[in-house]
Formats: sequence, C-alpha cells, structure tokens
Amino acid sequence: MANLDASSSDVTFKPKPSLPPPPNTVGAIGWIRKNLFSSPLNAFLTILSLYVIWVLVSNVFEWAILNAVWEAETRRECLDKVGLAGACWAGVTHWMKNFIYGRYPDAEVWRINLGFGILILWMAPFWFPRVTGKIAIGASAILISPFLLGYLFAGGEKGLFLQLMISIAITAFIFSWLHVLVCLSSGSTLRNVIVSATGFAAKPDNVQKYPVIALFVVLAVVVFALQGGWQLEEQNTNLWGGLFVTLVISGIGIAVSLPAGIVLALGRRSKMPIIRVFCVAFIELFRSVPLITVLFMAVTMVPLFLPEAINPVKIVQAIIAVCIFSSAYMAETVRGGLQAIPKGQYEAAQALGLSYWKMMTLIVMPQALKLMIPNIVGSFIGLLKDTTLVSIVGLYDLLLMLKAVSQNPQWNGIHTEPLFFGAVLYFVLCFIMSKYSQHLERTLGAGQVRK
Amino acid sequence: MKKLSLLGLGLGMLASLGVTAGEAAAQSTLDIVKQRGVLRCQVGTPAPGFYQLDEQGNWYGSDVAICRAIAAAIFDDPSKVEFQSVTSAVRFTAMANGESDVLSRTTTWTLFRDTQLGLDFTTVNFYDGQGFMVPKDTGIKSSLELKGATVCVLTGTTTELNLTDYSRTNNLDIQPVVFEDSNVRDDTFAKGGCDAITNDKSSLASTRAKFPNPGDYVVLPETISKEPLGPVVRQNDSQWMDIVKWTVFALVQAEEMGIDSSNVEAMAANPANPEMARMLGVEGDLNKGLGLEKDWVVRIIKHVGNYGEIYDEYMGEKGKFAIGIPREGSPNALWTKGGLMYSPPFR
Repeated sequence: MANLDASSSDVTFKPKPSLPPPPNTVGAIGWIRKNLFSSPLNAFLTILSLYVIWVLVSNVFEWAILNAVWEAETRRECLDKVGLAGACWAGVTHWMKNFIYGRYPDAEVWRINLGFGILILWMAPFWFPRVTGKIAIGASAILISPFLLGYLFAGGEKGLFLQLMISIAITAFIFSWLHVLVCLSSGSTLRNVIVSATGFAAKPDNVQKYPVIALFVVLAVVVFALQGGWQLEEQNTNLWGGLFVTLVISGIGIAVSLPAGIVLALGRRSKMPIIRVFCVAFIELFRSVPLITVLFMAVTMVPLFLPEAINPVKIVQAIIAVCIFSSAYMAETVRGGLQAIPKGQYEAAQALGLSYWKMMTLIVMPQALKLMIPNIVGSFIGLLKDTTLVSIVGLYDLLLMLKAVSQNPQWNGIHTEPLFFGAVLYFVLCFIMSKYSQHLERTLGAGQVRK
Repeated sequence: MKKLSLLGLGLGMLASLGVTAGEAAAQSTLDIVKQRGVLRCQVGTPAPGFYQLDEQGNWYGSDVAICRAIAAAIFDDPSKVEFQSVTSAVRFTAMANGESDVLSRTTTWTLFRDTQLGLDFTTVNFYDGQGFMVPKDTGIKSSLELKGATVCVLTGTTTELNLTDYSRTNNLDIQPVVFEDSNVRDDTFAKGGCDAITNDKSSLASTRAKFPNPGDYVVLPETISKEPLGPVVRQNDSQWMDIVKWTVFALVQAEEMGIDSSNVEAMAANPANPEMARMLGVEGDLNKGLGLEKDWVVRIIKHVGNYGEIYDEYMGEKGKFAIGIPREGSPNALWTKGGLMYSPPFR
C-alpha cells in the first residue's frame, strides 16, 4: 500500500493515444453507412427512394426544362415543335400579366404596384432592429393603409371622408418613415426631435405631445389640400383578378382574423353570459359550415334579402365571408393558447391589482401569443390557400386565371403549365410565411431556450 | 372596446370600396339598365367559341356578342356591358337575385328550367347536340358501333345522363369514365384512357383542336341529344324579354336580308324594300313596344354584325378566334339554307 502511495506521487497514468475510428464509420462513407444502409431493409428502402426521386426529377427536368418551348405565339406552335413531351412556357409568359393583375387595364397596373410597394415600405421597419414604436407603425399599417390602398386600387369619386382618411394615411406613412430615419441615424425618436426643436423639452410630459400632434394635423391638412384635385380613374372590381385578388382577400383575411379571433376567444372565456353565448354561437356556427357554404351564402344568397337599391360588390362580400370564417377558426387557436397559460399567471396578475385588460395585454397575451405562433401561421397559410375557393363564386383569383388560359383558342388545352406555375408560386408564398414564423419563434422564444 | 374599434377600422377598406347604394328601386329591367348606364350580362367561366378571355382581359365569343348586341341596341355602345362570369353551379341564383340582367351562356332550354326557376328562355341562338369523338384509326364510323366501349365524360352534367340513356336505349353497354375537369378528361382520352369521348359537338371541336394531331380524331355523325342554347331573362318582365328575343331575331333577320356591319348604314339610307325600311327604323315605329330608339337594329348590326358574321368570327372556320364548327348543313344555318335559324317577320 505504501508502495503504491509512493509511486503515485511521481508516476502519472498516461493512456495510450486513441486509435483513429475505423475509416468506414467516419466522413461521408460513415454517414451513409449509418443513415442509409444500416440494415438490409434500410438499404432496400434507400435504393427504392433514390430510384423514385431519379424518375421524378429526371422526368420533370426533361419536361419542364430540356424539352420546353419558351417562345411561341400559339399552343399549336409548341405542339408542332415538341408535342406533349415538353412544357409550353410561352403560354405562361404571354399570360403572366393576367396571372398577376387579372383583367386590370395595362395602363393602370402601376397603381397596384405602387399600393403593394407602399404596404411593403410601411411594414419594412419591422425588420430594422433599432427602430422603436414598431407596434404603432404596424397598427397604422393595418388600420389606416387600407384606405389609401383601397382607393389606389379602386379609384373613382372620393367623398370627404375618404379624402380625409387618405390624407391621414399618407401623413401617417410620412411620419412613420421620418421616425424610422431618425431612429436609424441618431438612435433618438421623432417625438424627441420635434419636442426639442420646438422648445417644449422643458415642459411637463403631458404637454410634450402637443407639438407632435400639431405637426401631424398641419401635415395632414396640407396633404388634404394637395390631393383635393387628384383623382384616379375608377376600376370596377370585376376587373380585379389573379394573384392581386388572392393577396387582397387573404391579406385582409389575415389582418382581420387575428384581432377578431383574440376578441372572440376572450369573449368565449368571459364570465359575462351574453358575450360568452354570442361568441360561442358565432364560433361554433361558422366553424361547423364549410368555407364554400359561407361564400355561397355571402355572395349569392345575401343579395336576395337586401333591398333592391343596394348593389353589393362581390369581392367585398367574399372578403367579409373569408374574414368571418377565419376569425372563427382563429378564435379557437387563440383559446388554445390562453388555456396553456398556467392559472398562477392570472392569479399573480390579479394579486398585483391589475385590471382585466392590463392582465390580458401585459401578462397573458404576450405569453399566449408566443406559444400560438406555429398555429396562427398555420391558419394564415391555410387561409391563403383557401382563397382559391372564391373562384367558384366567380372571382377571377389566381386559380381561375390559370384555368382560363386553357380555354383561349390560341392556347387551347394548355393547363399543366399554368397550374405548375401556380403551384410554384403558392409554394414560394407559403414557404416565406412559414420561414418568417420560425424566425419569429426564435426571436420571441429566446427567453425560454435553456442553455 | 378598444379591440372592437380596431376591428371596425380594419374593415375600413371594405367600407371604402363598400356598397354602392343609391340606385332607386326601378320598375322594369330596361329602366334599371338605362339608369345604371351599363348592362350586366352573365357568361360562364371561359368556354371556347362562346365566351373566352383574351390576353388583354377582354371577353369575346358568340354569347358575348349577344350581350354586346343588347348593349348596342340600348346604348348605341357595345362596350357598355359588365360581364359577370360565374360557375354553372350559381348561374340561376345569380339571375334570381338580380345580379345579372341577362344570362347569355351555353344554357340548354328545357321545360323544367323554363317553368320552375323563375326564368324565361327567350329564343335559341345556337343549336348544339351531344356527339362522340373517336381516334380515326379505330375505324369506327357510327356511335352504334361503340358496344362495350369506355367513354370519357364530365360528371354532374346532362351529358352524363344523355350518355347512359343512349347506352340503355341501344343496348350498347357503354362504360362511362367520369371526370371533374375537362382538361384532365381530354388528356386521358388523348393518352388512350378511353375508347371515345362524348360532349356537345361544339366542345368536341375545340377538344379536337387541342390535341397534337387533330387529324387523328373524328367526330361521329350521330347527335344523341338536343341542346338548344339561348339567352335567358327573369320571369315577368315581358318588355325586357322582348328586347333580348328581338335582338337575336334582328341578328338573324339582318343576315337573311343581306344586311351586315359594312353595308347597314347604306341600307338604312336607302332601304331595298318596305320590310327592311321598317326594320331599320326608316318607316313606322316598330321600336315603340320595345322602349328602344328608332334605329336600334342599325346600332346592333353596325357594332356587332349580323348572325352570320358573329358565327364566322367565333364558331365557324374563317375568323381569327373561330373554333372551326362548319355551319352549312347544321341547324345553325339560315332556314333558307336548310337550317333552323328563322326570325319572325319585322312588321
């Protein structure tokens, strides 16, 4: 024992260096062996899958790229060149404008582009990390921009109310971007800049807002006066079509369904019987009928009950139907999120003396919404795809436009190519939404990641 | 409350597009149309020959031309038409709820539809009928040779019903292969998925034109059903019904008299006979009962052409958009040439 003790002080145990792993268990070969050929069954499945992928990819490649015809005036030309062996993309490129804008007149298409450009710019500050007041900007984009965009798209006479709302929208847009520029350049806020420039900095807090409001009002009045004589040619909504209509319907559906769904979900959990009964009835009624039924009711049945003097606009009826339907679904998604919040959170909030609305907006909703992101975005994606159903009530959305080409004598029978194009377009849109939701989950869920 | 007001504002765009109120309740369809300044004409989702979209997003086709003719008669402007394109599932509802003023789309005139839907069929502007198409190399010459054959057909249409009726009547034991989508049906047929394809003969012509080698297919001579197609109006407005009906008659009568879009104004200035003078509004007041201007027929022919011109342009073999259905020997020829196109006299 003593011997051991003595030797341990001057001899340390040195393990032999490890041998390198067997060459067939590392690197690409190792990975392949482990993941693809670990057993005879897996080896068989791997080879089968490779074969299926090869057949699919090579055929699609051959049809869509190798044999494809890009330049032609009619489908007959394509058929004469390659028959059915290659895609006739010429038909898709000739009709591209119709797929995107529907039957909107060529000369006025800039209005749609401008509208969507404004919307994107309005939302852009969300992606700038240094900008403050994103909620206000987002709210103004959702609540006020529809007046400006709606007028850009539809045009025609504007009443005083609409002119006022358009002025407010333009002013809000300018304010948002001034604010963003101030944030990005100096890290300050627009409010601080205005307050210090007007010499209100020394005044108490509740007075400081007046110069900001005053500037907003002055700017709005100037815009109001400037756009008095400005009028766009009216574009009947039955000229709207293609991707444009798909985005308008699903965009409004998305923007409305989330707040409406939150209200309905809170109502359903409310302790006030009338509100609860109303919300439960609304949700259950519209969740138990298919969207197509709601659309039919809204578009073809409702006019039967309206007085003759009222001529409802079809796209508006469809949008209302989509909003009602998606709100009912969203309400249940939100309720699921609310139920996931432990009771202790509610009780703690109440113990702090928070009112119902403060408890909801400060404690419960932020946690619940974060949990619900995957489901919410799932509903949004579903909604985007569901809007193809409006083609049945005669709105020329993307799908119906894609189908219309095949009935045109020049492109008689061309239907795989447009639908292929549509599928790719839908995939891109849905994939972007899905990626964005993952990004949101990562940023908002940062606090919950265990490190 | 705050959330609710947010929701209300979110619907702001809807409000701004909104409901266009303010059209006073008017008595007759003609008054409503005149007041609105535009005719609302219902067509279907695009179907070759009858109503289709071009790349610029304009509607054209033979049924579209009827809409334009009515607009020309009322407004002297064939562009004052708002085309409403709805699927066949909602076509009658869209008439019943007042959305459309006239339905001009391939709708077969049947007793049931005429009497039980609150609608009136005006007259026939195209006689269609169901037929069969087979690959030429099968050597089949008559549909009675289709014993035990598989036949591609669209589901949920009278076409399917006619097919089974025909099969039972003639003991053919035909096996229907049903499809939802006409493009898929045609692809299946082209790839040999069925022995024959059945549809209205007008559609068979355009189906044939979409195949890589149209010459390899032949439409069999038999017509197994009657499909008289024509414009439809709401019941109980005889003035409006008369306007639509006589617009079609004017197209036919003009062709019979040799009046077309190029010579109509010369003819009106110097009518060849008393009937032509009455029809073109030079003499008499035939327009009174219709509530239209004296020169309503001149307007129609000037802007849209006569029946023959419309047929050649969209259905026949001459026009740029034509789908190639021969007119000679068909029921769509003038009665003077052995067809069924016949207008009551203008007097």
